[in-house]
Amino acid sequence: MAYTLRGRLESRLAAALAPLLVACVLALVLQAWWPVQLVGLMLAVGLALDPVWYRLVPYQPGWAAAPLGLVELGAVMGLARLLEVKAPLAGALAFFVGAWLLAQALGHAVFPLARLSYGEDGGELGRVGPGLVATALVVLAAAGGVAWATQPPVVHLSAGVHQGPLVLDHSQQLVGEPGAVVRGGIVVTADDVSIRNVTVIGADHGIQVENAEDVVIERVSVLGAHLDGINVRMSEVTIRDCSVSMLGNEFGQGIDISFTAHLEPSLVENCLLTGGQEGIFLDSVHAMAIDNHVRQTTLRGITVTEMAMATVEGNRVEDGVGIGILCSDYSMCDIRENSISGIRRDHESSDSMREGYGIVSHYFAHTDVKDNDVSGTRHEMGAFADAYITSH
Amino acid sequence: MSGTCAIVGGGLAGFCAHATLRKGGLEPAEIAVFGTDPDPAAVWRVRSTAIRQRRMRSESDGHCAPSSFPGLAVRTAIRRRSPGPLVQSLLDRYHPTVDEFLDHVDELRAATGWDESFHAAHIERVRAVDGGFEVDGHGVYPHVLLAPGHPGLAWPEGLEDDPRAVHAYEPHEFEDTVEIVGAGMAAATEWLNALDAGASVISVRRREPERHPLNLPRVLFSRRGLAGFHKTPPDERVGVLERFGAPSYPAGSSWDEPVEAARRAGRFHVSAELNGAPQVVCATGFKRGFRHDPLLAGLVAEHSLETAGEWIVLTPDSTVGSLTDETRTLTLAGVPAQWAFPAADTLMGAKYAARRFARKVAAWRTR
Repeated sequence: MAYTLRGRLESRLAAALAPLLVACVLALVLQAWWPVQLVGLMLAVGLALDPVWYRLVPYQPGWAAAPLGLVELGAVMGLARLLEVKAPLAGALAFFVGAWLLAQALGHAVFPLARLSYGEDGGELGRVGPGLVATALVVLAAAGGVAWATQPPVVHLSAGVHQGPLVLDHSQQLVGEPGAVVRGGIVVTADDVSIRNVTVIGADHGIQVENAEDVVIERVSVLGAHLDGINVRMSEVTIRDCSVSMLGNEFGQGIDISFTAHLEPSLVENCLLTGGQEGIFLDSVHAMAIDNHVRQTTLRGITVTEMAMATVEGNRVEDGVGIGILCSDYSMCDIRENSISGIRRDHESSDSMREGYGIVSHYFAHTDVKDNDVSGTRHEMGAFADAYITSH
Repeated sequence: MSGTCAIVGGGLAGFCAHATLRKGGLEPAEIAVFGTDPDPAAVWRVRSTAIRQRRMRSESDGHCAPSSFPGLAVRTAIRRRSPGPLVQSLLDRYHPTVDEFLDHVDELRAATGWDESFHAAHIERVRAVDGGFEVDGHGVYPHVLLAPGHPGLAWPEGLEDDPRAVHAYEPHEFEDTVEIVGAGMAAATEWLNALDAGASVISVRRREPERHPLNLPRVLFSRRGLAGFHKTPPDERVGVLERFGAPSYPAGSSWDEPVEAARRAGRFHVSAELNGAPQVVCATGFKRGFRHDPLLAGLVAEHSLETAGEWIVLTPDSTVGSLTDETRTLTLAGVPAQWAFPAADTLMGAKYAARRFARKVAAWRTR
């Protein structure tokens, strides 16, 4: 078909009406906004590309819908990732493909049946077209409005010191202005909470997360916690770009995530963890520790233990005592591309594992290692108590 | 006799209009079709048989049904229980066979009640009167669609009475050596027919044919290309239509390989002039222009209709503007409607006029 520009836009918006309604229903059923966000992205990408297709493709043979659809799929998925739309990959692909197939069926069969001159009108829908377009836009605007209105409220924390503990017991986005400090810790007990741009000082745990999912902690600094810098229990968290200083803390961990194996994987990424017994402690979890910098720990740099499944990748562990990275107690660990250096022998311990190892697999743990750079340690790696290490 | 609509011309363009009106809700009794043969494909059948045409140049939507879906590819795929025709259609490679097309015409003829609307009559005059158009003594109709078809076969000068000459669209066999005049679809088909019959072929043509899948660029079958065409001033549009009339046939090995093989074997030559062969096949198409059609010429003369070159000037919706208003419609369909739709002599063109005619009728009925 040789589409006119108006024909492309009308056909696209009319074909989007049904997916839009389905997305609204899905959003209600799943209690998640990603279907509406996804269909909004699909429309945005499509409407942005329609003028391009109009110029580049004067006549569009039937087969050309497939490559054009693939380009749009790539753009939609890329934007979804960029904008952090929380759509499961399989679900998003299925939704896109379903909507695309529906659009093909409408364009090839339903629209020509409903409007006899559809083809020769270049995809324009006549008097019905503007109505369908308006309906699609109204539904999208309404759904988007509801989605927007029901987003967690944004709570701004002004510059200066705020006395804690702050208890976040309902969904919200806590955003600190430059210079915002909480003294006495933050406690999260609700789902769908994010904390950004805040410095936390003191408290037993600088930030404590309990029984919560969809928790995002970004660009936070934690200083002077008495136990753990960030303590996570039975929760699913994403922790990025953080800084936790535990210098002088004899028993605490920088980040401790425990007992989350029944939940979606948690992520610790690009954090600087200094001091304490352990930098990152992952106990009975599904988790990924990626691109972090752990230093000056007194027991182990990164620990994965108690039937945990974890990927430990791209981290820098240095200047610690005993063990750089430990995989223990029936855990399964994928340890790759880490840089481990300067792990010293623990002179206060007679435990042979603490003679200064880069990587240790312990007590029935299965550890896969690949492309790690271990230097300045007495031992590169070792397996103890019926544990395995497999090098790739 | 009188009714809502009259279709003057019982060929494929009239047939498309009838089917479209029926889809629009008119009963067969409300539509009077005037033609000379109750079979809407009668004339076309003779011509396609004469050139031994096996496949249509048109694609899946080259049919007479009012809606483009389901096209002939879908129907064939269902009948053959094979996705092949659909895949070919996606690639613009599906061309229905002539038999498939004619079967479709027969089915549609029965389904639309064509025979109930058909009246055997040769209409020589249509004139505007109060409340509509008087159709040559057969009554007054508020809405009339004229689809008189091609006004006759075109012969090269001096050959019409030459005993060696036969027109491609007339039944014929081939002599041992045959000169084929023309360079369009019919000529190319006749090259292959004559070669297939064992003849040596001399292609007589003054210019090389263009190679297009369809007889016009695809954008000219839709508003995208038509919008610009409709904006061209009359003088310029005449030039455009004359250029569109240049002979062409599709590209592809099925056309080229037999000709190349014959050329290598010395059985295919190209010449700019006739050279005394025992048989001359004139694949020169049809006479052009309204002046060759007594009905249209009379209409123009009687109502002083605006013309440009060989064409009656039409509005973009294929109506005669000066004789069409809220109360009546005069539409041209088929080849005389090229002023509105350059590919008017195709099935797509017939439906273009039919759909707009049906829209006018529907608006009149709901007024």
